[in-house]
Amino acid sequence: MATQDDDTLTGSVPDPEAEPTPAELAHARRFAELVDKTLAGRTPPAMSADDRALLEVATVIRAARGQLELAPARQRAVVEDALRQAIGAEPSPGGSVTPIARAPARRWAPWVVAGASTLVAAAALLVLWLRPAEPPGAPIGRATVPAEWTSRSADALIGPIARDRAGDASARIDAIFADRLDGFRARRLARRGAP
Amino acid sequence: MKRVLAGGSLALALAVALGLGAPALPACSTERDAGSPARSVTRLTDPADADASEPIGQDLLVALAQAKNFHHKAKVYMTDGNLPAATAAVRQILSLAFPRGAPEADDVRNDARALLAKLLISQGQLDEAARTVAEGLAQSQRESFFVANLYTVQGEIHEARATALDASDPGKSAASGERHAAIESYDHSIQINERLQKKLMEER
Repeated sequence: MATQDDDTLTGSVPDPEAEPTPAELAHARRFAELVDKTLAGRTPPAMSADDRALLEVATVIRAARGQLELAPARQRAVVEDALRQAIGAEPSPGGSVTPIARAPARRWAPWVVAGASTLVAAAALLVLWLRPAEPPGAPIGRATVPAEWTSRSADALIGPIARDRAGDASARIDAIFADRLDGFRARRLARRGAP
Repeated sequence: MKRVLAGGSLALALAVALGLGAPALPACSTERDAGSPARSVTRLTDPADADASEPIGQDLLVALAQAKNFHHKAKVYMTDGNLPAATAAVRQILSLAFPRGAPEADDVRNDARALLAKLLISQGQLDEAARTVAEGLAQSQRESFFVANLYTVQGEIHEARATALDASDPGKSAASGERHAAIESYDHSIQINERLQKKLMEER
């Protein structure tokens, strides 16, 4: 049995100035709920043919006004298809959401990082444990260098100064300068010759 | 979900690595042997350490070269008989900038003071000579043959004073006191020389 709802599209067109009947108001409320459910993604599985036709028109009108957004799953599918085509792969058939498979390297990367970090830490522990102990009192951060390369007292070079040579400072400074210059050159040459 | 698991595995990996590395951190700042005393990495260099471990640098050579040139300049003035100019040249050695803590600085300055004092003695400026030597002895950080030489020159100053006192007022006890002071200075010089020679012999 046909109802008034069933002939909404095929029935007579009411006068624009006429007051809506209670049946029309009820149908309008029901259709509004139907539209809201559809926009919320909860489209009823069964509906009348007229409602389905009206719903399609409403959807087209809304899309034409630019207020329609793709669902997140659909957006991901579109982006992934574009990426697939960018790298020369075939787009996913049917346009369904198919996440790109993760490369094996990416799957193993965390464990490779973990293994390498563990090995480095273990090696550092071994080096710290096995290094030779420095002699107590040795200055930190100074390499052992020959005494000839270092700044030091000139006592060993000059020796005791006789009274009759007390004013012969010129000869002594010559000896000190020559000795320190030798040490400086030896150090420089050794550093250049080092591998 | 897989992303969460992957992130979790990476975090677990880092935690394991840090957990293994953490015990190594204290080892970086402490001695491994319990018997050796712990040393701070922020310990300042002791002046005694600099005696044996600071490499010869260009700044030291530059200072020594300048001292050498001033000595030669003074020698030329002395040969020419211009003692005031020679004295001025030697004084400039005292104001040379040596590397901080360089043992050669003390030696070169003390040697310059000894020559300066002798130049002042020869010009009759005994008080200035005595002051020059006294300053050198006061500023010396350690015993050296150059310090011993300063005591020798100090003895010469006392001898020069005694001679001057003898000339002005013969038989006065002040001259005798100066001679005693000269002997004390010479004794100081001899004692320092003996100690240092013994030390050098032991090191060899």
